[in-house]
Amino acid sequence: MKRKGLGFYLRIYCKILAQDLKSKMSYRADFIISTIGMIFTNIAGFVSFWILFRSFPEINGWSYYEMLFLYGFSLVSLTPVQCFFDNNWSLRMYVYSGDFIKYCFRPINLFFYYQSEVFDIKGLGQFAFGIGTLIYSWNKIGLGFTPLILLKMIVFLITASLIMIAVMNAAAATCFWITNSFYVMDLALKFKDYARYPITIFSPVFRFIFTFVMPVAFIAYYPSLVILRPDDVPILSWLSPLFGCLFFYLSYKFWMFGAMRYSGTGS
Amino acid sequence: MKLKKYFALTRAGILESFQFRLAMLVMVAGNLLYLTVVYFLWKAIYASSGTDVVNGMTFSDTLIYLVLATALFNFMEMYAVWEIGRSIQSGKIVLDLLKPMPFRSYLFWSYSGTFVTQFFATFLPTFIIVCVVTGGAVPLGINLLYFVISVVMAVIINYSIDFMTGTICIYTESIWGINIMKQVIVLLLSGATIPIAFFPEPLKKAVSYMPFQSIYNTPLSILLNGSPKAETVLSALGVQAFWCIVLLIISNLFWKFSLRKITVNGG
Repeated sequence: MKRKGLGFYLRIYCKILAQDLKSKMSYRADFIISTIGMIFTNIAGFVSFWILFRSFPEINGWSYYEMLFLYGFSLVSLTPVQCFFDNNWSLRMYVYSGDFIKYCFRPINLFFYYQSEVFDIKGLGQFAFGIGTLIYSWNKIGLGFTPLILLKMIVFLITASLIMIAVMNAAAATCFWITNSFYVMDLALKFKDYARYPITIFSPVFRFIFTFVMPVAFIAYYPSLVILRPDDVPILSWLSPLFGCLFFYLSYKFWMFGAMRYSGTGS
Repeated sequence: MKLKKYFALTRAGILESFQFRLAMLVMVAGNLLYLTVVYFLWKAIYASSGTDVVNGMTFSDTLIYLVLATALFNFMEMYAVWEIGRSIQSGKIVLDLLKPMPFRSYLFWSYSGTFVTQFFATFLPTFIIVCVVTGGAVPLGINLLYFVISVVMAVIINYSIDFMTGTICIYTESIWGINIMKQVIVLLLSGATIPIAFFPEPLKKAVSYMPFQSIYNTPLSILLNGSPKAETVLSALGVQAFWCIVLLIISNLFWKFSLRKITVNGG
């Protein structure tokens, strides 16, 4: 069989996306309410951030606006996992009911086909919110604007997203073994709440854990150091694009390994 | 009233939750992680504030408050909105309505088993650990009695809000969006994520007119106050009782009214 190229997959993705949007639009009320719900979540997150930090000029050497930058950075970098990989949340249901078998019979990449089936528009609200926060704090900190810094920003945002995607993939894939992966995914989802704080507030032990055991710090802290503290970038920040790709690849392999192990429910 | 039929549901709930030991383990691990992050975050906040007492609360006060708020949350969260929403979507609600007890009580009592296990599995251990670790920072006296009364009312208020939110699903057939809105509002305005003492003055005033603070802030404030004046406790409990009654009535009426509009697809 001929190996399918990137163009082929892009075309397929657009086709599936269009179908998915059409089906979402037939539940218009649900769609609107979910979008409002997402906006609520973001506003509440911002309000709690504001309540916590408004009375302190700096926390641990981080100014209010730098913290805000981290917050915006984490919001933007969490958008892809929300938009493109939301179907991971349904994986356990498909595996449990046996419907997962239908994905195994398509002549395209199983992982690709499964993830492409759902595109979550709600994530775009979060994206807009995150970008707004980033621009606001960018201005307040007084960072310059050059094409180079924009390029850095984009590269490191993608890096950060890859890490979170990898975490969610791996968490979802546990359902091939333990069936109900909801709790694992819920735990993994909490990562995003921890990602928004500078890792320097933690004790060395937890700094190590959040860097190497659970890569929370790569979702916002290490990548944004490149922008915020350009004179003093630790080696881990420069390595983070590498880590991002590596983690993503590993999670993909893990997911596929689980899927290959899947033997159906017999129904 | 015959309580026997209700206790049968409690028993079933206890047995059911023993089936999900792994889920419980993951939840405990997730909580520990969350509390670690909370600990370091607030430590950093107190370190940068320069004083020991911020907004009338010391570091250990805040920590005890937040730890117990998390324990209370695990204890009180019933996922009632999901349950009602799913029953409506799947048509299972028809069977539930035929049961020889009001739907409202049925739902509550099917959860009561989880109350019991959660109380012994998470709340009590957390409480004891907090008492021991902080070395008597939690005053043990008459306030414990007030605390128990307060928690009982908090459970009723929380359930009424959940039930009302669930009822909205009859009209919208959307669960995710409705649930996330409710959760975000309740967690923020009840002082579960940030003690209400930290809120800015106007917000504090606004929140005092809402029922949400009766869920987390009131019981925890009562618990942390070692030498309570009778009138402060009584007025706090009075406000809770007021909301208890009001919300019970409203949620009941809303449910009765909505039940006539219910449409079940298939089932």
